[in-house]
Amino acid sequence: MREVAIIGVGAHATGQFTDKPLKDLGYTAIWDALEDAGVKPGDIDAAYVGNSIGGLLTGQEGVRGQVVLQHSGITGIPIVNVENACASAATALRGAWLEVASGAADVALAVGVEKMFVGDSARTIGALSSVSELDLSQMGMQFTTSYAIHPKINLKARMQEYGWTIADFAKPAAKNSFNGSLNPLAQHRRPLSIEQVVQSRIVVDPLTLYMCASISDGAAAAVVCSADLAKKFTSKTPIRIASCVLRSGVYRLPNDDRLDTAATTAQAAYEAAGVGPEDLQAVELHDAMAPAELMLYERLGLCGPGEGPKLIDDGVTTLQGRVPVNPSGGLCSRGHPVGATGLLQVAELVWQMRGEAGERQIEKRPKVTMAQNQGGLLLGQDSAVYSCTILKT
Amino acid sequence: MNVLHPESILVPTDARQAPCLIGSRCDKCATVVFPQMPVCPACLANGAMRRIEIGRTAKLFSHTIARFAPKGFKAPFFQIFVDLPEGPRIFSLVGAECPIEPGVLEDGMDMRLVLEPLADTPENKDVLTYKYVPAGKSGRAGHA
Repeated sequence: MREVAIIGVGAHATGQFTDKPLKDLGYTAIWDALEDAGVKPGDIDAAYVGNSIGGLLTGQEGVRGQVVLQHSGITGIPIVNVENACASAATALRGAWLEVASGAADVALAVGVEKMFVGDSARTIGALSSVSELDLSQMGMQFTTSYAIHPKINLKARMQEYGWTIADFAKPAAKNSFNGSLNPLAQHRRPLSIEQVVQSRIVVDPLTLYMCASISDGAAAAVVCSADLAKKFTSKTPIRIASCVLRSGVYRLPNDDRLDTAATTAQAAYEAAGVGPEDLQAVELHDAMAPAELMLYERLGLCGPGEGPKLIDDGVTTLQGRVPVNPSGGLCSRGHPVGATGLLQVAELVWQMRGEAGERQIEKRPKVTMAQNQGGLLLGQDSAVYSCTILKT
Repeated sequence: MNVLHPESILVPTDARQAPCLIGSRCDKCATVVFPQMPVCPACLANGAMRRIEIGRTAKLFSHTIARFAPKGFKAPFFQIFVDLPEGPRIFSLVGAECPIEPGVLEDGMDMRLVLEPLADTPENKDVLTYKYVPAGKSGRAGHA
């Protein structure tokens, strides 16, 4: 396998962009990434386009990738459409990485794009539910409720087991809202106190409104190339993809005592990259509901069981901490246009590693970082998709 | 009335019968799953799964009240996981006879299966599905 570097990233701001179809959201991210990388459309040998619910919501059920890329002047090359729920963009990056790592392509493009504001939020919520197995979504299962009651998260049980409180659940949201307030691309830019998060209205007990990622439009893109070609295109620091691991959920019976799949995915990513959790200097992780960040700290090996809230109390994961988590603002503040999120995470890490993150720049430029993305829900009680990407300079 | 997952639900033809779910049991390792599967997820045996009637009763594993709803549903509504005595832990909804109030349900409580419309909405009022209600409530199991 050849070494692969990210040489350019781009993103469309997240939020409500009523008049912009998928292809216009994509255009901004794609051309920002091309110009950042110093490549022209003709330099790209292959492209992977991640999108999750654009078929249901816009009616463009097939060939969304070709439609989006044609609008940006990228035609003729192999274009692969990727639907992998909220991890569609991370999966697209893996496709582009494999193209280059295998030697099939020298330069490849990964895009993630999502349009969720269609003037009917019940329709959007319905479409979101449909990225879980149909047997669940047809019964009215929603992601928000799954965080509250699903056996693998079951926040109320965590409250009993660890003594976590609603204020603990609010801590990641408050921390990340501060980061998001410094991010010009973020959907929600108001810094929130723990109190404000707790006091916001209950969506699904014990989750309050500000603990939940909201509906969002957005896009992100990354240009990857063979590491030895990076200098041909750009003088910027190439960001090496040290590992890019994709896993799927396993069928879990009650009392399954195997390690959580987010944890096994992270372990595989650490092993392939030759690093451990103690080496990470920044992390973007999948906090679709704020308390998930506390659980993911454990699963990524950043702390022991139940220690998540303390990690925030001690300032370890704040912007000034030893390992800042979600410097972009994360899914709740930066935004969660589902099929774009994985690449929004990667774009943020690239900016941080290059020292281009503006007001939210981590003071000591991180050299080893991780993006963790997941999505979907299966009858077998696991998420459908798990992804971990480790980047190095 | 249409049944949401006809392969998963035994709808009684006699009012004295209690409805139940239909899962699969593995001949090789005795694992029971719901809904039915052709390959055992535990021992991966192919062709060893047999149809089994399950889920007439259950224990409440977890519950919450959803304050917003996807299209075709009405908020607020309970969403729950229940443990079936035969083994599976499944997602379900709560029958209409149970008031939607905090404190009504308690994890670990005994539940029983009912068949009723998926939701009181134009899209789902004629779609029959399985739900659970606290077992202590009056009334016989049956379908609406």
